[in-house]
Amino acid sequence: MKDIARQSMSIKVESMDLLNGQIKMEAHASATYLAMASWCEQNGFFTSAKFFFKQAEEEREHMMKIFNFLVDTGGNPISPEVTNINHDYSSIVDVFESTLEHEVKVTKSIHNIVMKSRELGDLATEKFLDWFVLEQVEEENTIRDILDMIEVTGTEGVGLQMIDTHVANWIE
Amino acid sequence: MNVVFKSTYYTLYQSTAERRYYIDFGQKMVRISLCELLSLRHKIMSISIEDHFDSDLNSHGFEVLMLCNKEHLFILNTLEVLDLKTLIDNGFVALGLSARAGALI
Repeated sequence: MKDIARQSMSIKVESMDLLNGQIKMEAHASATYLAMASWCEQNGFFTSAKFFFKQAEEEREHMMKIFNFLVDTGGNPISPEVTNINHDYSSIVDVFESTLEHEVKVTKSIHNIVMKSRELGDLATEKFLDWFVLEQVEEENTIRDILDMIEVTGTEGVGLQMIDTHVANWIE
Repeated sequence: MNVVFKSTYYTLYQSTAERRYYIDFGQKMVRISLCELLSLRHKIMSISIEDHFDSDLNSHGFEVLMLCNKEHLFILNTLEVLDLKTLIDNGFVALGLSARAGALI
């Protein structure tokens, strides 16, 4: 029997499922950062709001990168449903700590797909994810640096205002 | 046409000449492209079979399934859903598009 299925699709369906899961995760991250931008705007952290608007855009770009990879490989990319977005934060420190937690989750998920695609011998998916592995190092590092800056600056007195001003250093 | 996989109620065929697949649903033969087969896989895998055993979540134990861009409509009971899941799972393994069953569990 001629292998016409392989001619139409160049990755395994298991990789496709995991990448569809990642699409959902990136969409969720984008919506979460948009909620954080909203919180920052409402609480007077206008520079931080700009930072999160940009982060939201970046996460959507990541989602589209995976979506287009599935299109290119003949897969079935699924437009994600995004629900349960948290809009409540106790402070600007809480916002950035939640961001770091979120980025760590994304990193773990990417690493999991890399390991699974390696297990499947799916070299295309593994190589495709190289960029994401390095991108996550950068993303985590950015948020860690901001949290370090917050610790040094402190939240007393004009600290909160200084924190917001300093976040501009991480807006490219 | 070659048989790709046969489950209790359904059979998946490949027509190399047409570059298409066929699913024999018993009362109806459906011609399907690989994209449509992937879409069917997504739909059937998204069905929560646990809901069939909870009368609040699925009071009748049926699923309505539309295939090939709404060209076909099927009403499946619990056993038929499970059998179609088996056909799709094993069909993709036989087509070489899925790793061996259980590899990712």
